[in-house]
Amino acid sequence: MSQDKYNKLWKALGIAVLFAIPLVISDRYFLHLMVMAGIFVMLTSSWNLLTGYAGQINLGHAAFYGIGAYTSALLVMKVGISPWIGLFMGGFVSAFFGLLLGIPSIRLSGPYLAITTIGFAEILRLVAMNWVELTRGSLGLYGIPPLTAIKLSPGFSIEFTSERNFYYVLLIAIFLTLFCFKRLVQSEFGITLKSMRDDEPGAESIGVDTTRYKLAVFTISAFFAGFAGALFAHYQRLVSPDTLSLGETFTILTMTMLGGLGTLAGPVVGAILLTFLSEGLRFVEDMVKLNVRMVIYGFLLIITILFMREGVVGLFSHYRRSGDTGQ
Amino acid sequence: MDILRTDKLSKWFGGLCAVKEVSFSLVKGEIMGLIGPNGAGKTTLINLISGVFPPTNGNILYQGKNITRLKTHSLNKMGIARTFQIVRIFKTLTVIENVLTAMVNRKTYGPWSLAWGSLFKRSGAFTDNKDACVKAEELLDFVGIGEYRDELAENMPYAFSKRLEIARALATRPEVLLLDEPSSGLNPKEQNDQVEIIKKINQQGTTIMIIEHVMKVIMEISHRLIVLHYGEKIAEGEPEKVYSDPKVIEAYLGGDADA
Amino acid sequence: MESLFVQQVVNGIIIGSIYSLIAIGLTMIFGVMKICNFAHGDYSMVGAYAAVFVMAWLPGWFGWIGSIVAAAAAVGILGVITERLVFRPLLTRRTDIDIIMVSIGLFIVLENLSQLVFGATPRMLQDPFGSATVNLGLFSTSILRLFCLAFSCIAMGFLHLFLNRTQTGIAIRATSQNRNAALLMGIDISHVYTLTFALGAGIAGIAGVLYGTLFAVFPTMGALPTLKAFVVTILGGMGNLRGAVFGGFILGVAETLGGSYISMQYKNSIGFVIIILVLLIRPNGLFGRREGT
Repeated sequence: MSQDKYNKLWKALGIAVLFAIPLVISDRYFLHLMVMAGIFVMLTSSWNLLTGYAGQINLGHAAFYGIGAYTSALLVMKVGISPWIGLFMGGFVSAFFGLLLGIPSIRLSGPYLAITTIGFAEILRLVAMNWVELTRGSLGLYGIPPLTAIKLSPGFSIEFTSERNFYYVLLIAIFLTLFCFKRLVQSEFGITLKSMRDDEPGAESIGVDTTRYKLAVFTISAFFAGFAGALFAHYQRLVSPDTLSLGETFTILTMTMLGGLGTLAGPVVGAILLTFLSEGLRFVEDMVKLNVRMVIYGFLLIITILFMREGVVGLFSHYRRSGDTGQ
Repeated sequence: MDILRTDKLSKWFGGLCAVKEVSFSLVKGEIMGLIGPNGAGKTTLINLISGVFPPTNGNILYQGKNITRLKTHSLNKMGIARTFQIVRIFKTLTVIENVLTAMVNRKTYGPWSLAWGSLFKRSGAFTDNKDACVKAEELLDFVGIGEYRDELAENMPYAFSKRLEIARALATRPEVLLLDEPSSGLNPKEQNDQVEIIKKINQQGTTIMIIEHVMKVIMEISHRLIVLHYGEKIAEGEPEKVYSDPKVIEAYLGGDADA
Repeated sequence: MESLFVQQVVNGIIIGSIYSLIAIGLTMIFGVMKICNFAHGDYSMVGAYAAVFVMAWLPGWFGWIGSIVAAAAAVGILGVITERLVFRPLLTRRTDIDIIMVSIGLFIVLENLSQLVFGATPRMLQDPFGSATVNLGLFSTSILRLFCLAFSCIAMGFLHLFLNRTQTGIAIRATSQNRNAALLMGIDISHVYTLTFALGAGIAGIAGVLYGTLFAVFPTMGALPTLKAFVVTILGGMGNLRGAVFGGFILGVAETLGGSYISMQYKNSIGFVIIILVLLIRPNGLFGRREGT
């Protein structure tokens, strides 16, 4: 019982620290990194639900990110809806595409599905590149409005143009996302996904309608990735076709594998670790005047898979209960 | 009374006929053995009945309803469960989780309602649910692997993983249980244990259809036997009678004599 | 109009032959070891760089032939090294996701390491025919391109003979068809794995020289051919060599025709559209074997 209390205490402390960070550290660049890490936490967690828990290998995850970003940006700029609604529209449109990409997954698995998902993302990237009238092609959309300020009283309103205030929006979004994922993964829904991942015919034999589960998990995963994309669009205020690229997907999956695939904490740890490691390496690169960053990424990915199958999180948890390292 | 009946069931794979116009009926409460030389179409027949793929021709009736083209998961919800020749347990789940996942009420709740419902539930994992755990433990004890409760399924000894698969199938509370070679690869002692378990399941009222290569096992537990040869049913009846049927002897000695 | 059509078909066949050559190794490795290697196109890239160095020493025809041999050897060795260090430890685990991820890691390493070592500036491989062209009435093309086509076909022919007429080749095919049976027949599986990787990578290295001579040599040149090779492999059915050959030609022709009649911008997505359509209808590919029970 006291163990439980300790856990709660630690959690509360952690949350307090996260909320206090911008009050203590005012360095804008550091806060920017925290925001980027946060957006990647949402992306890696959503990819992890789909690939880590449900076993559907999706190598086109950046497409959902891009769809969310473009949808929200375009709706706000061309139709004039509020960016706050745009965030959800980004999520919903992305979820719709998730449902579409789920259809081939009904019959395909493993490498076949992996290639199909790459194809899906590449086709969308080319659309974003070439539909110049709508997307401005490779220039990208710029001047995307920030999240609109919330007026509390006539003389006082909260703006979301600064890194600090955006940090708080993101923090809340992440808490909601992780709360949803935790509940999903630990529920009957989650255990069904894991059953399906481990053995599809076996899951069918105990009454799992794998078709509907695949469609559902693609949709849910895409929703959160799209939401993250929309957040990014209104934060960076610039979206280019690069957000849909294979390289972006590779970053997402390197982070997740590094942290620990199929665990709740893994994607979070991986996203934060790699975001800051990547900045650290930028320093090193400046010193040695060589682009060593990506090479190190690659080696990290290989080493993680070969020697630490459960990622960084696995190193710290002595006993892993079927992939659940609660947070 | 028939619980399950097939009517001239056939399955072709390209130019190969794996099951040819097989008609039989499964009587409620019995254990029916399905035997035949290798490649006789036994597993194909089980796959047809459990909805892995649809038959080329013919019908399957279950409790008076036509279930010919239903998928495995729908059939499971109607009360038909199965095990596999090569075990298909969920390797990265613990033993008890393997059973718990089979106990999820999928008849009433689809993926969306489960996902949505999970967001507003009291916190805590489904696998910590007390009532469900008690029931799952009972099933594990029933098949005699209770002490492996928290072991990862992939670390189970082979014989026990076969029993786990049976426990998992039972967790879906089937009326009809299809067992595909439940004692293959087991030593004689383990085979005996398996026979006891199957008998116990049957005594609780579950109708069983079983494929088995080990003659001792099949003769001991079956009430009736069906013999397949090159996809065709060549004999049906009480074990002793079937065993001395000249056509059956011919099939086993003349064909692939490895059973 | 008509001559444009013929011209494009010929161009498609030529580029398709190189796709086939890359895809053959990929599909062979998949067939034998069930490894889906996303770094396969980078074997071609390394092969092309090997050629750059050989040609710097040896000019003209000697250099060109020498570079093909050097590329095949160097990349073959690289293939064996990666097989031993990266893929072999994973074979006991056999989960698709780990193998795919580790090969993506390898892809990132090879691509960026070569950027570090060779620099990002594209290099050209010299054309041994001195850019001579030939006009055959309905179409005209450079001799180099025709030579590439001929060379790919010869290479595929030799591979075919090797796999069908030699003891080792038959062992590779047997392992591809049924690993356990091959094991029981006394085939040294470990040896077959190494050989398959050496062979598959070596061929990709040769293809890299051809590809590099036609276009240019740069560190990221492997990415597109990898994706193309996967499209071809899936079209032909994974593990199916004959399928890969046909798939390569189909993709090459479809791309050049689509590029000139539909849209140049979407040329590189045509392959993906095709495989998505094909997979929706035939989940095991155009020439894939239907799975039995």
